[in-house]
Amino acid sequence: MNEIPVGGAVRIIEYTAHNEFTERLREFGLIVGTEVKLLRRAPLNGPIEIQFGHSQIVVRPDELAHINVQPL
Amino acid sequence: MNITAFVELHCFRPTALKSVQRQTHIALVGSPNCGKSTVFNALTGLRQKIANFPGVTVEPAIGTYTLSDEPASEFLHPTSSTSSTPAPRTVTLIDLPGVYSLLPKTPDEELTLNVLNGTHASIPKPDAVVFVIEGTNIEKSLFLFAQIARLGVPTLSAVTMIDAIKAGGGALDDIELERQLGVPVIGIVGHKGVGIDLLREAIEACDFREPLLADNEMLTQHATIEEQHTWAREVARLVARLPETDAFTRRLDAVLLHPVAGPLVFLLVMMLFFQSIFTWATPLMDGIEASIDGLRELVEAGVPAGVVQSFLSKGVIAGVGSVLVFLPQIVILTLFISLLEDFGYLSRAAFLVDRIMGVFGLQGRSFVPLLGSFACAIPGIMSARIIPSRKDRMTTILIAPLMTCSARLPVYVLLISAFVPATFVGGVLSVQGLVLMGLYAVAAISGLMIAKLFGSTFFKGSTLPFLMELPPYRFPAWRNVWITAYNRARAFLTSAGTTILLLSMILWALGEFPHTTPPEGSSTLQAQQVQLEHSALGMIGKTIQPVFAPLGFDWKVTVGVLGSFAAREVFVSVMGQVYSTDVAESNETLRAVLQRSISLPVALSILAFYVYALQCMSTIAIMKRETGSWKYPAFAFAYTMLLAYGASLAVYRVSLWMVG
Repeated sequence: MNEIPVGGAVRIIEYTAHNEFTERLREFGLIVGTEVKLLRRAPLNGPIEIQFGHSQIVVRPDELAHINVQPL
Repeated sequence: MNITAFVELHCFRPTALKSVQRQTHIALVGSPNCGKSTVFNALTGLRQKIANFPGVTVEPAIGTYTLSDEPASEFLHPTSSTSSTPAPRTVTLIDLPGVYSLLPKTPDEELTLNVLNGTHASIPKPDAVVFVIEGTNIEKSLFLFAQIARLGVPTLSAVTMIDAIKAGGGALDDIELERQLGVPVIGIVGHKGVGIDLLREAIEACDFREPLLADNEMLTQHATIEEQHTWAREVARLVARLPETDAFTRRLDAVLLHPVAGPLVFLLVMMLFFQSIFTWATPLMDGIEASIDGLRELVEAGVPAGVVQSFLSKGVIAGVGSVLVFLPQIVILTLFISLLEDFGYLSRAAFLVDRIMGVFGLQGRSFVPLLGSFACAIPGIMSARIIPSRKDRMTTILIAPLMTCSARLPVYVLLISAFVPATFVGGVLSVQGLVLMGLYAVAAISGLMIAKLFGSTFFKGSTLPFLMELPPYRFPAWRNVWITAYNRARAFLTSAGTTILLLSMILWALGEFPHTTPPEGSSTLQAQQVQLEHSALGMIGKTIQPVFAPLGFDWKVTVGVLGSFAAREVFVSVMGQVYSTDVAESNETLRAVLQRSISLPVALSILAFYVYALQCMSTIAIMKRETGSWKYPAFAFAYTMLLAYGASLAVYRVSLWMVG
């Protein structure tokens, strides 16, 4: 997930870890099968902004290491 | 599909909630950023009180309103029918913290869950729920609805921002949405007041119904997050055609979040922010101080000299003044922050600076409260409410007093102008200016390093990683912004203000008693000095001076430091008092007297002390209020005093060695 280029889109295929944070991501709507687009990266290798459905969220890229995705 | 953009009206229907009773508790529930507060403010206006529940750090706002009169008899509660003039029925609206789900992950979410379950100690279980659906992100709201529906509470739902749906070329089928949810649906535009009357009427008419999701096979009691989202996605697709993303937001983000332009705009906004606190607040603060001085002179002229006069002028009026003087900064800072928050820029700013704040174990949202603390820690600490993560909020509050506030300036200016030569490096850079800048920098860097330390010790692993929504840009609702500022100001006056007033009276009493009669023929200034020296404050200063002796403080400086526990700038006036005879006799300025009486190492030691010490009872009072316990202010006081003492000791010893 943290290797998608800006503008790239992926589909979530699985979570490899389960904890409060991944539960929160799923509650936001990042469930398996969801299409996600990487909108931009903050300067200095900061957080990334992703879009899915009508939600736009920002998150630090390392935090998404437990999501396996498939390029679209 | 029958698509209309607006919900027009509701015909009468049997309702689940039989009638609005004399005291009906209605909870406003919705996800963060759904427009809930705007709905709350539109319904209640200024009839709000910010409830202060013990241990609750993000208080739900409580608003009451009396229902419009002459209620149809069938709505009356049976007990009131005996009275010829029925008591007004009031609806108590509780604005619960926004939640993403009912599987709580933060203290705020836990609060909402507890209230809804009726397990909260002091907030009653709501009789009904007004569920706020974010019009621009229906799936997200319906996911939460799927969980709320299980509670079986009579519900009424309001879809916000229906103007944005229409503007983006979308449409909402409210009738289908009503059918799917089993509860009445009302479309509104909170900040324009569209639909608010309909919503109010629906509340008055008890148009609440129990959601009908029980027989939905997808939403059993054990439905997973995936099943709930799939249902929400399905219903959202069925009832609404939403614009992909708001075009305005997309275009503005292309600039405001641009890798180069973004940070530049950010710096510009922050500069404007910082400047506005200083330049706009200063004349107002000067005005308040001038009026307080005027009032004091009036009292001193009208009341015969003595304890009563002194109590009124130095105790009460000075105390009230020291409270009021904070108001301009609090109001301006709150206005600015809520404008940015409502517009949607604050989240973007947090996105831009998150990387830098991350170095110190903080998140992007800590930036603005800390920046605000450079003006004054009080509004800074109050604005830390914009930080959703408790860990980051507490850390930010704890280090806010280390940001150099404007109250330190008079102390810095007095000592720097007395001890630092007014020369220029290379003919341009003022040495005095450099020293001042150094003091600011040292304080800020220490604060951030301490944040890192706290984050990796006390609060270790206690919260979720950084995760934030970027809501679409919205035109700020002025009413909301004003109400927020008004509430902040009121909260400050009622809770912190009273503490500050009480403490300033205690401080006055310590300086005034025991009363000493000055020697025959002494001037007013001499009398003041004699009084201070023999007062309880003077005694305490002399008694504890040995504690400060290693820092080079004599009893006079110690009294000055003690006096500034009320507020730092008091140091200057206390110094004026303890040296008043010298000033009077030598006909010199206080600055010149200090130059003679204090050595350079001592002056530097005092400066180091003021960089760190939390000498501000107002900050302590507001910290108690915002964290919900005395634990945090006590800790902040202790750690800053330790730092101050250590830094002062080091500076004194090193400079003694260098001078000697």
